Amino acid sequence: MNCSDVRDQLESYIADDVTDVESMRIAEHLGRCEPCAAAYERTRSVVADLKGISDAFVPRDRFAPRPAYASGPAGGWVWRTIAVAASAVAIAAVGALSVPAIARELPFGVAKEFDALEDRAQDLQQQVDELTVRLETIDGEQVAMVDTTPGDLAPEEAAAVQQLAMDFIRAQYAGDVAALEAMGTDRLKADLAARPGDYVRDGAEGLTFAQMTEPARAEDGTYLIFVRLMDSGDWSESQYQEDFEIKLIDGRYLVDFMGMDA
Amino acid sequence: MEDYELVRRAQAGDARAFTTLVRHHERSLYATAYAITRSQWDAADAVQDALADAYAGIRSLRDPDRFGAWVSRIVVNECNTLLRKRVRVVPVEEPPEPQAFVWDGPEDGMDLMRAVQRLSPDHREVVALRYFRDMKLGEIADVLGCPTGTVKSRLNRALASLEAAMCPRTEEEVSR
Repeated sequence: MNCSDVRDQLESYIADDVTDVESMRIAEHLGRCEPCAAAYERTRSVVADLKGISDAFVPRDRFAPRPAYASGPAGGWVWRTIAVAASAVAIAAVGALSVPAIARELPFGVAKEFDALEDRAQDLQQQVDELTVRLETIDGEQVAMVDTTPGDLAPEEAAAVQQLAMDFIRAQYAGDVAALEAMGTDRLKADLAARPGDYVRDGAEGLTFAQMTEPARAEDGTYLIFVRLMDSGDWSESQYQEDFEIKLIDGRYLVDFMGMDA
Repeated sequence: MEDYELVRRAQAGDARAFTTLVRHHERSLYATAYAITRSQWDAADAVQDALADAYAGIRSLRDPDRFGAWVSRIVVNECNTLLRKRVRVVPVEEPPEPQAFVWDGPEDGMDLMRAVQRLSPDHREVVALRYFRDMKLGEIADVLGCPTGTVKSRLNRALASLEAAMCPRTEEEVSR
């Protein structure tokens, strides 16, 4: 490594943003080259000072969010309390009942994955049960009991909830706001009107339903279901999860809340 | 509580979680906006607007671990939008005492901040994101939409300017 290479890398070296090998080579060079060592010292000093001033700005006006889409009791406590369990539940709770309802819609490869998941379902279910029990005691908070045991709901009830979630997602990718509206409660409609951009998605051609939970019913009657999706969106991770709260109103299943999850 | 969990709670509609998240980031976001806009009031406006946008759009953030980079991008965009709107020239040589925020740093810290503010807009951005927002080269490249090599060369040039601007002090350091 010559002086020019070292000078070029000094900033990254100080920020620890170089590989171990580069770091060793630079350190070795600095040990024997006085001008580079002096340059290192100057840059290091400025960088240290720069880092010191970022925390020095104490704003007078603190930002306070307006409760723009603050959810009601269901959107608040239910999701908060089960959010930590969401990804585990999403994988674990793909049970026997959920497969027939969506298998028709799945590409062959994904359907095969479901078969494999079914085989593991029993072991995983135990983990979910344990998870639910653990959730009860987090921080001494009162925690919503969400029964994710497959078979808890009547098959037609579970299928209707799953179908609604999938229809909703397809409408999101079709950009069909009117269809989304028709599938939502008043609360969802209001949120949709305020933030249509949160609902409409691009990349319909790459849309795949990867996994879906067995729907669960919270104490207040709200159905909860998580759907893992893949699409061809901009983000490097095109796999994500949509969390639904669904209510049965006058004999119709309607989406009351939809949130995105990693 | 970690950012990751706070983001997830905020995505579920928990406003308090978002407020806590903001507290973790607001100082460095103000410093970033102040460096870029060179005006305390513009900085305050940019950060307030950016945080309102972030709150409204938090559910569109797919990877909660990326909140820091994501909110930085929003702040930088707000700053640049504000700068484009400005027709007046913001005096840099003798800025008024900060009133939109309280300076809680070393006495000579504002001298260095003013040196940062005298850099070109491209250089101000990379310095702020690197040292105030503590971001990796690749993350900065993502936020600014330019190659990592460009970020690196801008940083090197910006640091050379800052070293020159803070010269008396660096000579003292070297002679130690």
